[in-house]
Formats: sequence, C-alpha cells, structure tokens
Amino acid sequence: MRSNLALLTLIAGSALNACATQTAAVGESSPSASQAADPAIGELNEHHRHHHHGGVTQFVSMALETLGLDDAAKRPQLDQVQRDLRACMLPARDVERDLLRVLADGVAAATVDAPRADATIARLNVAALAVNDCSADALNHLHAILSPTERAALVDKVQAHWDVWRQVNHEDGGRLTDLADELALTPTQVEQLSGALHAAMSGFGERFDAKKAEAHVQAFSAAFADDSFDARTVLGNANGLLATHGSARMALFYETVTPLLTQEQRGVLAEHLREHASHSPAVSFN
Amino acid sequence: MTRILATLLAVVSLASGAAQAQIEINVGPPSGFIATTSPVYFEGHAAYWYGDRWQYREGGRWHGYREEPAYLREYRGRRAPERRSYEGGHRAIARRR
Repeated sequence: MRSNLALLTLIAGSALNACATQTAAVGESSPSASQAADPAIGELNEHHRHHHHGGVTQFVSMALETLGLDDAAKRPQLDQVQRDLRACMLPARDVERDLLRVLADGVAAATVDAPRADATIARLNVAALAVNDCSADALNHLHAILSPTERAALVDKVQAHWDVWRQVNHEDGGRLTDLADELALTPTQVEQLSGALHAAMSGFGERFDAKKAEAHVQAFSAAFADDSFDARTVLGNANGLLATHGSARMALFYETVTPLLTQEQRGVLAEHLREHASHSPAVSFN
Repeated sequence: MTRILATLLAVVSLASGAAQAQIEINVGPPSGFIATTSPVYFEGHAAYWYGDRWQYREGGRWHGYREEPAYLREYRGRRAPERRSYEGGHRAIARRR
C-alpha cells in the first residue's frame, strides 16, 4: 500500500511538472532558411515586390485573406468588408497596373522610359493617399465584426505583411538572387548586375522614411486591438509613402538591370511584369 | 485508500490531459508564414502549426504546448493548415512553361 501510494505520488508529481509553465528555448531554423524552403513565402515576397498600391490598407486586406474564420454568420460581412477595401484601392491599383505595363514595355524594348515611370508613380502617390480616408468606414465595420482574439490575429498578420514588405523593399530583399534563378543569369551577368544595382541603389534606401511607415502600422495595430476603434483617429497615413517607395525601387531595379540582359531574358522578364499587371486579387488556397 | 487513489488519478488525468501546459518559444513562426497561413482559434488564441508544434502569441511572446491539445490534434487530422498562394508573376509563367 505504501509503495502504491509512493508510485502514484511520483506519477502525479511528474504530470504536474509537465503542466508547469516553462521558459525553454525551442530550436528553430532561421526565418531566411524557412522562407527559402517555403514556396508560399517565396510567392508572397514576389507579390510584395510588385504590388504597393494600398499601403497599410493593403496589408489589412491581405490579412483578411488568411484570418481563418469559419463562422458562417461573419463570413458574408467579412466578404463585404473585403470588397469595400478593394474598391477603395481600385484607383491606386489601376495606376499600379499602368506602371507595371510601362516597365514591361521598357524591359522588352531594352530601355525603360524613366520619366514616364516617374510620372506614373506620382499619380500612384495621389491615389494611394486617398485610400486611407476611403477605407475608414470599412475598417470600423471590420472592428465591429471581429472578437478581441480575431482582432489580435489580424494585427499579427498586418505586422507580418509589413515585416515582409520591409524586408523585400527596404532591406536587401534578395531580388537579384531570385532574378538570377528566373532568367538563368550567367555568373558574369550576376556580377555586373550586382555592381550596377549597388551603384544605382546607393542612398536610395536612406530616402525612405521607415519610421513614418512603422508609426502608421503601430498606430493602426494598437488602435485596432483596443475595444473601441475609429479608423479616422488613427494617426499617420503612410499609404502614399509605401506605394511610392516600393514602386520607385521596383522601377529603378528594372531600369538598371534591363541594359545588361539578353533579348531573350528581357522577353521573359517583360512577360513576368505583364503577368503582375494582370494580377487578380482573387484568393487561391492550397 | 479508494478516495486517495481517485483523487490522485484525477490529478494525473487533469495534468496529463492538460494541453494547457505551455512552453515559451524564443522565435515564433517567420512573418512570411503568419502572413500566408490561416490560424486555428483555440482557447482564446490564434494558433499556427509550425515547426511540428502549435504556436500562439500571447502578451507579445510566442508560446507552444508541451502536449498537443486534443482539439488541435483532431483538427490537424481532419485538414491541413490552409496556406494562401500568391499565384502570378514569374511563378505562374514558370508553371505554364
């Protein structure tokens, strides 16, 4: 009997220990290694390199696509919010399409029309800035629909999109590595392009006000997680900044690489850009 | 003795079934994974199946379960985590070639 009790006490103790909260480090591969092996993340990177029209509102719209809510009562309301957000971004998306077509035509012709690209980016800035006010009602409606847990999940996703966007458009981004893979660049071409891009991009990143964009994302995140929310009181509007910086960097990249590509490579790259220009916002899942 | 045994077994049962036992995780899923994956909502958290465990954020930190909760285990048995695919651009073209 005593031995039985001792055994049971030992079992109970072990189980209770397993229950206790611990602070153990869990081994994990680096994010970059994970991203390289994950096609969905590779596609997301590609998307964020070429689509900048909605700024933070676009991050919210994209976050909605993977919020994972099966609630039949909420689904129609969320779909309506998604339609409203996309309607607000439509004018900016149309300008972005124009820009992608300008770049595609330029790549195919071996010379990108930089003044025309710059003029299109200026139009994009105006359209993207207007997204903020236009989307306020939809964002307020979204806040009213979601539970606190769902709002926290959405905020995590908005911050994740901002993090990815920043990595691929402000930091190194790995764009040349992907281009080498897409176009089967020779080692000599990679070396030439690396030098040309280094010279062209020198100082470009410093002109991007990352703190302003970060402030907008954080202001939205803090406000949206709260129980009461009014999108019109969220401080900052970095939508134009994100749209213009991302697009200007994209244009500069293609302006720089185009003269160093073969005719065949330019043809493939132009096709890539036209594909992005016709990109539909329709959602595709596994 | 019977009462003692019953009490201890109840404790063991509670503890061993306690999916609630959590461990803190230094590095959560990468941003690209969170942005492309639908979570599963469980006990007030949005949980992601990543690195062979369910992970969720609470209080700004990532946590996991020492033992996989039965609900989440069953969920995972029924359906794979839903991933968003951003088809288009060079990847769509490469698939068509």
